[in-house]
Amino acid sequence: MLNNHYVQRFVKGWRIFIKNPVGKAGIGILTVFMIMALASFCLPLFGPMYDPMTGIDPNIKISTPPSLTHWLGTDNVGRDIFAQLLEGAKVAFIVGLSSAFFSIVLGTVIGMVSGYAGGWVDAILMRTADIIMVMPSLVILLILASLFGQFNIWLIVFIIAIMRWPAVSRVIRSQTLSLKTRPFIEASRVAGASSVRIIFRHIMPNVLPLAFLYMTFRVTAAILVEAALSFLGFGDPSQVSWGMMLQWVWKSGHMFQAPYWLIPPGISISLLTLAFYMLGRAMDEVLDPRLRKEGQS
Amino acid sequence: MTNYDPDKHPLIEMKGVTKAYNPRKGFFGRKGNKVLALNDIDLNIHKGEIFGLVGQSGSGKTTTGRLLVKLEDPTHGKIRLKGELINDLGGKPLQHFRSKVQMIFQDPYQSLNPHLSIAETISEPLVVHGIGSPESRREKVIQTLETVGLRPGKAFYNHYPHQLSGGQRQRVAVARAIVLDPEFIVADEPTSMLDATIAIQLLRLLSRIRDEFGMTFLFITHNLAAAKYLCDRVAVIHEGHIVEVNTAENIIRNPEHPYTKKLIKVQPGFRF
Repeated sequence: MLNNHYVQRFVKGWRIFIKNPVGKAGIGILTVFMIMALASFCLPLFGPMYDPMTGIDPNIKISTPPSLTHWLGTDNVGRDIFAQLLEGAKVAFIVGLSSAFFSIVLGTVIGMVSGYAGGWVDAILMRTADIIMVMPSLVILLILASLFGQFNIWLIVFIIAIMRWPAVSRVIRSQTLSLKTRPFIEASRVAGASSVRIIFRHIMPNVLPLAFLYMTFRVTAAILVEAALSFLGFGDPSQVSWGMMLQWVWKSGHMFQAPYWLIPPGISISLLTLAFYMLGRAMDEVLDPRLRKEGQS
Repeated sequence: MTNYDPDKHPLIEMKGVTKAYNPRKGFFGRKGNKVLALNDIDLNIHKGEIFGLVGQSGSGKTTTGRLLVKLEDPTHGKIRLKGELINDLGGKPLQHFRSKVQMIFQDPYQSLNPHLSIAETISEPLVVHGIGSPESRREKVIQTLETVGLRPGKAFYNHYPHQLSGGQRQRVAVARAIVLDPEFIVADEPTSMLDATIAIQLLRLLSRIRDEFGMTFLFITHNLAAAKYLCDRVAVIHEGHIVEVNTAENIIRNPEHPYTKKLIKVQPGFRF
């Protein structure tokens, strides 16, 4: 339900957020990448040559440096690197946001249930979380990928989400534990509210900002895992991504011959993850007034 | 519960109620010392009265309140509402009990969810018990807001707790407690966080609600003056024991138990 209260909260948070230079820089970088991702939808307008996956310049048979027709040059089969970079931005956003979203939903619900229910429910859920938390997600993904062949991008997104909820659920659980004993929760119990109602109506709005904060950090993690996986050759071969571009540079032996091909995806991965991280740091300050400087409220 | 005879049974009856808190079990199953919050309490509260429970911090007065609204269950002993045992209620009967007994909490800044509007907070008991339609609930909420002195009710309807003062918040908490027309309300030090003039207004409000709706109150306080102002009968609780029960007037004029005498002595500005 969207009402005035939530709009007001958002506006107030936004004002603090935008005063923070880290937040400003994060938003700036993010905007550039968002424009890139949106621009990738315009690629078909420039003809089939600029399709990031299948578009081949008929005149070019080897990797060429930047030129007017190909701003960042081409790869070894004559595909446009700039087009791939734009497409990669879109994929990075899709992978990062959707995977973070899944893991946040999972982590928040499990954390709230675990914290509110307590007892053996809590014990089982948190031990499960512990087990998953200590598993190295990249290694697990590599093993799965080598066992079952190449994964579709959505399966990768899903597996990253499954591997990444425990840390979120731990934080949400501890927040829930402190909320649980607050009088407004007890008042609601005295009024006869069910546990489901208390969890979703009373606890959720109070833990949601924290969940969003963790979402930004999860985005970073998901983008990095996907890039690493693709670089190692276990990504979705039918999908251009920055990690995949790096894999192609490496596999075609252009690592040290074509800096125009190697550097853009590398820088993009670093900058986008940095942007999300900065976003998270600035959000942290909105949520935790103790981090604010004097005179800000 | 239908053929309840107020002359035969008190509305609330506590018999031999003990509440022990077990500190966390030690390593290798060693047991820590039990803490007895309440020790063998007997208490009867009659329909329509405001019953005061006076004691210092840690005396078990809040625990008594929490047991009566079933936020916690007693270790031993029996609690009856209208002659009916409430110890092991569950499911439907528990839900029915929840509609009959409400609570007002001490801290008005903690007892309202900051993310729910006043309307959402007050209508929650109605929604939970499936009473009325959205329109009739709206009517009821506005009417209740006016009953607790937040007039005009429509003006407060869409407010959020952070827009209200402490006294107004506590009135909202009272509105939430009475919106279901319960029979019994536990008020756990409802005035201790308010300043004196606001506190008096709230006491007047509780007294008026009793007169108007015939609700029964357990008024928990550490303030004898407030108890005298509001309560018909008062019980003094000390270290988990009820040491004295009498009318408010008698307790203050002729305290029998040495602890009661001490309590009266230390009340500031309390002269006769």
